[in-house]
Amino acid sequence: MKSYNLLFAVLLVLLGGCYPQGPEYTEEMDIVFTTYDEQYDFTSKSTYAMPDQIVVDVDIENGDTSFVYMDAKYAIPILNEIDENMLAYGWSKVAINENPDLLMMPAGLSSTTYFYGWWYDWWWGGWYPWWGWYYPPYYPVVGSYTTGTLMMVLADPNAAEDNPVKQTPITWLSASNGIFNYSYDVTRVTDAIEKSFAQSPYLNID
Amino acid sequence: MKKVLFIFSICLIASVYTFAQSNHFGMYYSIAFPTGDVGEYISKPSFRGVYFDFHKTINENVGIGLSTGWTVFYEEKAEDTYTIENNSLTGKQYRYSNHVPILASGVYYMQPDQTINPFAKLGIGTIYTRRNTDMGQYTYELEAWNFALAPEFGVQYSVGYESAVSLSLKYFAGFQAGNELDASQSYFAINFGFVY
Repeated sequence: MKSYNLLFAVLLVLLGGCYPQGPEYTEEMDIVFTTYDEQYDFTSKSTYAMPDQIVVDVDIENGDTSFVYMDAKYAIPILNEIDENMLAYGWSKVAINENPDLLMMPAGLSSTTYFYGWWYDWWWGGWYPWWGWYYPPYYPVVGSYTTGTLMMVLADPNAAEDNPVKQTPITWLSASNGIFNYSYDVTRVTDAIEKSFAQSPYLNID
Repeated sequence: MKKVLFIFSICLIASVYTFAQSNHFGMYYSIAFPTGDVGEYISKPSFRGVYFDFHKTINENVGIGLSTGWTVFYEEKAEDTYTIENNSLTGKQYRYSNHVPILASGVYYMQPDQTINPFAKLGIGTIYTRRNTDMGQYTYELEAWNFALAPEFGVQYSVGYESAVSLSLKYFAGFQAGNELDASQSYFAINFGFVY
């Protein structure tokens, strides 16, 4: 009977090991989400304006607010990719003071998550007379991952007049999310921009 | 239905303790093939499954007991765009469908004294299903507890005193339920294992 119990224990461990693992590479975690205002008539518009920098953070020091911008070596290819896609869909880029129909506003966000190697604690917990959850007598394993999101928003500045709180309504929003790896491969971001437009054919005014 | 199951369970437990003659414990590796709604969600068969059962024989042909186990179906979908109303999402999708049946079962052994002993089993109980659709760092989870019937046909080959290897075909029919996953959740399984 003891050998059967051992067999049972081995089987359980093997079971844990054979659970499907899902994504193997960080690129496989990339997703692109878009949504739009179904009532908005994009075909009656033709021009857009876009800033030449991408905001990634806001610093507030002694009551003064200043923006933190993305490094130009990443921002320029991203902004170029947005322009290329807008151009391909028939839009003309104008300066902000030339009364654009829409404003394209890209922004970058990042967030780091820390986690504990809890499985390690659980595994070794079995060796102690008290079974279960406990804090180990050594520093736990800590890991982290950083996720990045590129937001793109198309807003109609002229529609603010018709808005009860005088805010510019968002007509289109894209959020591309992924996990950073150490190569900071900007093509993952430019690919995501391409996909954002590909899945938004209603932006095509050609 | 809950009342019926409760009475059935009480009768079963009572009968196990009243008429018990010998115990049999089985462990099985399982290959499963999805059908119906499960098959539409994941088309690939599962090679990840394990089942356990415990039976007490009430005479040499008939046994009653409990069985449980786990099958997980998994499929990695190529990158695609999924659109619902005015929202679109592009990415790779990872689909998981976990099934844990918990069944009271009865077994009829056709040739209990022979080396080759065909048998028929019927399980009744529930199947817990958890379906996860993962995209990026997000998961969309749906659960169901389906009332279930599980007919099984197989054969045991005796390899020693009170021990045998077993090969069987089992159909897990999880009937439609009013849970998050409201369609029936069913699959076929080929179980290969050891009984002692």
